Amino acid sequence: MTSGDQDLHTLAGAYVLDAVSDDERGRFAAHLAACAQCRDEVDGLREAAARLGTAQAVRPRLELREPTIRAAYRTGQMGPVVAENELSDRSGRRAGPGLARATRWGLMAAAAVAVAAAIGIGTHYADMRGRAGHGPAAPAVAAVLSAPDAVMRTASVGGGGMAIVVSSRREHMAVFIAHGLRRPPPARRYELWLMGPRGERPAGMLTVHPRGMAGPALIGGMSAGDMVSLTIEPASGSLRPTSAPVVMIGPAGR
Amino acid sequence: MTEGRWRRGSPPDHLPGAEPPVPSGLDDLLTAVARGNERAYDAVYDLTSGWVLGVARKVLRDPAQAEEVMQEVMLEVWRLAGRFDPARGSGTSWVMTLAHRRAVDRVRSERSRAIRELRAATAVIDYDDVIEAVETSLDAQRVQRCLASLTRLQHECVSLAYYGGYTYREVAEMLGVPAGTVKTRMRDGLIRLRDCLGDVRGEQ
Repeated sequence: MTSGDQDLHTLAGAYVLDAVSDDERGRFAAHLAACAQCRDEVDGLREAAARLGTAQAVRPRLELREPTIRAAYRTGQMGPVVAENELSDRSGRRAGPGLARATRWGLMAAAAVAVAAAIGIGTHYADMRGRAGHGPAAPAVAAVLSAPDAVMRTASVGGGGMAIVVSSRREHMAVFIAHGLRRPPPARRYELWLMGPRGERPAGMLTVHPRGMAGPALIGGMSAGDMVSLTIEPASGSLRPTSAPVVMIGPAGR
Repeated sequence: MTEGRWRRGSPPDHLPGAEPPVPSGLDDLLTAVARGNERAYDAVYDLTSGWVLGVARKVLRDPAQAEEVMQEVMLEVWRLAGRFDPARGSGTSWVMTLAHRRAVDRVRSERSRAIRELRAATAVIDYDDVIEAVETSLDAQRVQRCLASLTRLQHECVSLAYYGGYTYREVAEMLGVPAGTVKTRMRDGLIRLRDCLGDVRGEQ
């Protein structure tokens, strides 16, 4: 074991506590794939960390039970075949390199279902999928969704709705989808932005469709540390944001 | 993409009159859920949704967002049950890994710089919260007893990461301790916690 490995190895605790950056998580996961002893340690520490969570149990409101369960029944399941390709990442938290394209589309669709369920207005799975598959940007959208390093993030939008961003560092692109967005005031529109170490850059105007659905919008030119954000701007668009973002999604703390 | 490549709900083993028996342990239930067994999923929801909501509330400190995260995680449990591998750990650990990660992702993507700073200022209170019983279940009491057996720094490092959703670098900054030390304390704190709690899997 080299000193670099040793250094990485001490990350086991922080990794189990989800207290690492995305980069470190990736490096540590790669380390785990090659170190059975480390996997055993991580599995054991996860059991302990899980108890920190279960000790905080609170009873959910009964009204949530039926809608959540029913939304699950309507959601597709990932077959165990994927798990065999992905033994190094049993957490299933994000799409890994072993996932087939179909599964990744599924990830997107499931996200749509999750969003719909979370805001309680039914599922628009077919709708979302259909819209993702058409239009001039469709091949690029598909490329992002099927990138081996695609990462999905969700967040609530201030004023209502949920937003999903799937981004690929390798493709330098992201796909933005929102659901349940409030209509902007007259003569105003939503505008997407990239905000990060390279500053604030406009990333396109967003049209709100029925049920507050918007996107998929393709966002190009992403660089490391960029967050995707959404503001309300004059209908012609702005070069710099003139209002506070209603949502910001991206790698935090970097 | 064709519909057939993606498995939908209502699989063949849920035909009327052909309902398979529903097992009682979480590990077996999850294995049944992976085959699309809806009754097993109902039982998994009843067993685990309170844990998931609890950790989401602790990390997010916003009941409405915590409920959203709980619902998202419960959908993930259904969707990803096929990835649960009993050889790698308990069902509890698998569900809670999904739940914590989702809650932390949410809190990090939502927290503005200002809110982060505000929370950092009140972080000492977060830490003391842990000692207080949220629920006086035996499990919670045991976890508290074990947490109390950690050194103060181990306890702070583990609590701020798990319950506060902070990265080890943020924890280091908040506590004024080198990042390498925090990293080590998180690991040896968890090891001590694991040893104190004993073999969790035997109790399920």
